Amino acid sequence: MPNQNGSVYGLTLLCPIINDHRASPSHDLQIRAYLATLPTGPDSPFAIAPHTHLARLVVMDDVVFVGAPAREEHLKSKYLVFEANIDCPPHAIGTTGLDTYLAGLAMAAPQQLDAIWSHCTGYPGTANLQAFLHYMKACQIETTFFFAATNDKSVTQTLKALQTQRAVADFIATHQGKDPAELQRDFLAFSQKLIAAPTPKPAVPAPQRPMQTGGRNE
Amino acid sequence: MSKLNATDIQGFVLRGYNMPFARFCFLHFEDAESARKLVGALLSSITTGQLWDQGKPQSTLNIAFTFKGLVKLDLPLATLISFPVEFQEGMKSRSGILGDSGVNAPEHWDAVWRDETGASEVHAWLAVHALSAEALDARATDLFTLVEKIGGVRVLDTQDAASIVLDGNVTTKEHFGYTDGFGNPDYLGIVRKSQPGQGKLMPDGTWVPLATGELLLGYADEAGELPIAPMPHLLGANGTFMVYRKLHQNVGTFRRFLDEWSARYGAGDAAAKEKLASKFIGRWRDGTPIEISPNTPDSAITQDPNRSTNFTYGSDTGGARCPVGAHIRRVHPRDAFGFQGRLINRRRITRRGLPYGPYAASDDNSPDMDSVERGVVFMALNASISRQFEFVQQQWINYGNDAHVGNEKDPLIGNHMPGERFVIQGDTNPSNPPFVCAHLPNFVELRGGDYFFLPSMTALGMIAMNLVDPR
Amino acid sequence: MSNINGKVYAMNAITPMRPWKTWILRAIFFILGNVKPLQSDLINLSFIQFARWVIIPRNSFPFVGAPQQRELLEYDYLLFFSNFNGTWNQYIDAFSAVLSKGLDLVWKWSEKFPGSTPVTIFKEYITRVQFDTDYYYTAYPHATANDVKNAHIVQQTFDALNRNAATMSPDQFREAYLQFVLSVQTHLGATGEAPIVF
Repeated sequence: MPNQNGSVYGLTLLCPIINDHRASPSHDLQIRAYLATLPTGPDSPFAIAPHTHLARLVVMDDVVFVGAPAREEHLKSKYLVFEANIDCPPHAIGTTGLDTYLAGLAMAAPQQLDAIWSHCTGYPGTANLQAFLHYMKACQIETTFFFAATNDKSVTQTLKALQTQRAVADFIATHQGKDPAELQRDFLAFSQKLIAAPTPKPAVPAPQRPMQTGGRNE
Repeated sequence: MSKLNATDIQGFVLRGYNMPFARFCFLHFEDAESARKLVGALLSSITTGQLWDQGKPQSTLNIAFTFKGLVKLDLPLATLISFPVEFQEGMKSRSGILGDSGVNAPEHWDAVWRDETGASEVHAWLAVHALSAEALDARATDLFTLVEKIGGVRVLDTQDAASIVLDGNVTTKEHFGYTDGFGNPDYLGIVRKSQPGQGKLMPDGTWVPLATGELLLGYADEAGELPIAPMPHLLGANGTFMVYRKLHQNVGTFRRFLDEWSARYGAGDAAAKEKLASKFIGRWRDGTPIEISPNTPDSAITQDPNRSTNFTYGSDTGGARCPVGAHIRRVHPRDAFGFQGRLINRRRITRRGLPYGPYAASDDNSPDMDSVERGVVFMALNASISRQFEFVQQQWINYGNDAHVGNEKDPLIGNHMPGERFVIQGDTNPSNPPFVCAHLPNFVELRGGDYFFLPSMTALGMIAMNLVDPR
Repeated sequence: MSNINGKVYAMNAITPMRPWKTWILRAIFFILGNVKPLQSDLINLSFIQFARWVIIPRNSFPFVGAPQQRELLEYDYLLFFSNFNGTWNQYIDAFSAVLSKGLDLVWKWSEKFPGSTPVTIFKEYITRVQFDTDYYYTAYPHATANDVKNAHIVQQTFDALNRNAATMSPDQFREAYLQFVLSVQTHLGATGEAPIVF
């Protein structure tokens, strides 16, 4: 089943956005405005609920006209695209795993989810969990082909591994040329401390460096 | 491919002159008419790519313009906006993209590059190369007399550069003691002996020249298309873009760092010091590639054009011979990123450069060695500054993802922030241990520069006569 | 809107396909999905964290009931979602340079697809069919696909050393530690902020 790749699951939802000419601003614009201010860091709904590697929300205004002789055609609704790459081990394949994920999201961030999806036609709200799950799955589209660079590690494992990598690099750099007994003693203390360290929170930005970031194309 | 017209292309583009002296003059145009008059007056003395059958001339002259210079020359707006965005913006505006922050930020540049008012911004670069100091002075004097006579053009600043002379011999060394100038690419149709390792790697392991359009506008490039160029075609064709960067070298910091860290590396002796120095660059200080000769410099290799640049990294993916993050492995990764090198063929640049300032003797112990004005005038030529120079500078020098080393930067010329490291891969041989150099300082600091357009002779004529039509 | 979060770029693209061609594309994806060696170029490119292609047949846009109106379309649509590291231009350049045959096989069924070489016309097409992301989340904004792979290798190697470290003699440990460092020495690159996308 192409939604699944190893223990990672590719979720694709297309939810129709309410098409109400009386609404001002229109519902698609309200979603855009809300998403523009939704935190992407540790306060993100996807960070509060575990198991999301990467996710995006996109207001799809229409299909694209690529120019004659192709035909110009248009959608009747705009759609909210929810695309997520999530942990879903093979033993949970099928609806159980997906239900668990969506329910986790609904319980962790009901206000944010409702604020976004309440602009979608027929959205029942997170309060009625069964209806919520039914709605989301009704909007799901099967992936045709799913590629994952790493498909056998959970979000937690990855966050832990990144922590380990950083700590190990520090340890190696600060223990060059130590005599074996001291090295071993230090390593054992180090590994104990590292293993006991809490797993870092997801979506924490990199330590501040004096270089700016921003989006810009050539 | 069509034969290149060497009489239409500035000589500086087609070949490194190998002249030991140079003076770079930065001009400001007060008005379009005077500027055109100057270009017209210089036209017949610009050095082209024509072969020197009668031997080298005493001196050469070349010219290039910043975008602001072309604006000042009153080129039509439709033409001006057809230049690539990065050239229009100029190097100062691109400092964020290039990672020119901290000590490399524009506020620390030489005054000539810091003009805020527009009253003395750099519009043109005039380069004199010469065989002797006398010839250099003579040519420069003639030039300044001409500028004076025409009026309306100011010489804002000059920058002298010269090959380092050691024991009476002109060398290709730079201030850290490394032999420089090995890695320029070969291009189709450019008259110069093709050398294995300097073009692009083929699936059968041989090397062939890169497409001409990687260097010159108006010719097919490695993507099988004409590079993006200004309109009209005649203005762009046979021209190229140049990046000028004045790179100050902190020789004291470099020597102290090497002393300090090599004391803990391998046997900690003089041999370990030279080995550590070689790991930074990927070449021993005499130029021998450590990928070919990891244990010792070998002049038989450096003097053999069939070997000095002829190697790949495919059998050294672990970096035990040449570290994955070493300078030459970053800026010319050859096969290191797989796909038989196809990912790198559109990222190559041609370097022209010369050191400036006095060479510090090996017994120089002055505490202020860093503050002596010395470094290298780095000039890179490429068809697309953003795709070639900027990409290499951002992704390969100040970042390491393509080399799978995360945020690690080029140890020698990276713009280091506190706490940065250079991991030197090793093996079980005690003289080649894995080693981490921590707390990398900035060995090199940017002192300014800009992006220039180096037009063809035809284009210079059009500019001088105000005959540039957008179509 | 933001297509960028830390070290990842979110690309969305949608292209129309005549419905009969969709079946050919499905067959191609089926083979690609089941013959793993065919994915090796995609893996070796190493700057894609996740990517997916989703075919929406013209009559299969989700319908949740009135007042939503059913879509009436002549084309099937191919949606492409990618999470890649590095710059937009680098990504398209690399695809065009080393994966052009594979890309053509996937997109040649789409209307007006010009082929993935030469690259400028290909970029114009992608630009036309790309649509922007409003909200982009990643659990590890400071890490690329390569960084993540490196980290897992370090973790695994560290776990292996740690398992026996306490029971070794100091000399045994010295030897095991050297082997450990040699095993992780190409995987220690620091994670952190991404360069400015340009």
